[in-house]
Amino acid sequence: MSQPLVVSRTIRATPQRLFDAWTDPRQLVRWWGPAHVECVEAEVDLREGGRYRLENRVAGGGHVTISGEFIRVRPPDELVYTWSTDDGASPLEQVTVRFVPAEAGMTVVEVQHARIADVEVREQHAVGWEGCFDGLSELVEHTPHRLV
Amino acid sequence: MSTRIDIHEDRLNAIFHALSNPTRRGLLARLCEANLTIGELAAPLEMSLPAVSKHVRVLEAAGLLRREVDGRVHRCSFDAEPLESAAEWIARYRAFWTDTLAALADHVEQP
Repeated sequence: MSQPLVVSRTIRATPQRLFDAWTDPRQLVRWWGPAHVECVEAEVDLREGGRYRLENRVAGGGHVTISGEFIRVRPPDELVYTWSTDDGASPLEQVTVRFVPAEAGMTVVEVQHARIADVEVREQHAVGWEGCFDGLSELVEHTPHRLV
Repeated sequence: MSTRIDIHEDRLNAIFHALSNPTRRGLLARLCEANLTIGELAAPLEMSLPAVSKHVRVLEAAGLLRREVDGRVHRCSFDAEPLESAAEWIARYRAFWTDTLAALADHVEQP
């Protein structure tokens, strides 16, 4: 499936510095996640076919494990991996992270997060999910919720 | 407090599959304006009734379309509720990644 969700941020650091932060377990436990989620344990086997696991504590109690397998590892440009928040039984989501150099020592970090519904959908090219939902969501009122 | 994303996997998969096709998105957009029979849905398209029926079934399986059968007439209407689930998934992950990238920036930009 094409990317329904793309989030990016320009950060003052080199692509290599950011790629390392994203893949080094010692750094992941220091920064990973939104404010109310703390990564307490990280394991990363950084190679295509290798697995990763992030154990996270949630503010207010509770625990969530994120795990998956690396599909593509191209330092410092790109990482592609599957993503599952259960025990990794059947990964249905895929994350692509790109570290794109910009001017003046900055890097654009771009995250694409896709659901892989089925093979037919996966093989389609850019479908423009956000545009689709933007149009139809004018008819729907919804409130964004926090992940956890 | 639940630590899991409250998503019904099969249901969301059906929604994304239903919306992955531009013809189906077009049918749904028209149903936002008015309830239409399958014949009325097919009329402006260069597509056979069985082909349109197949798209209607996919939308119905996703819960995006409701069908009222009146004799031989199948009147279709749009149900927005499943879109709220999918839109909610997108909104949750957008917030998640925005916050996570902010944390990454803090981590690398601090001396």
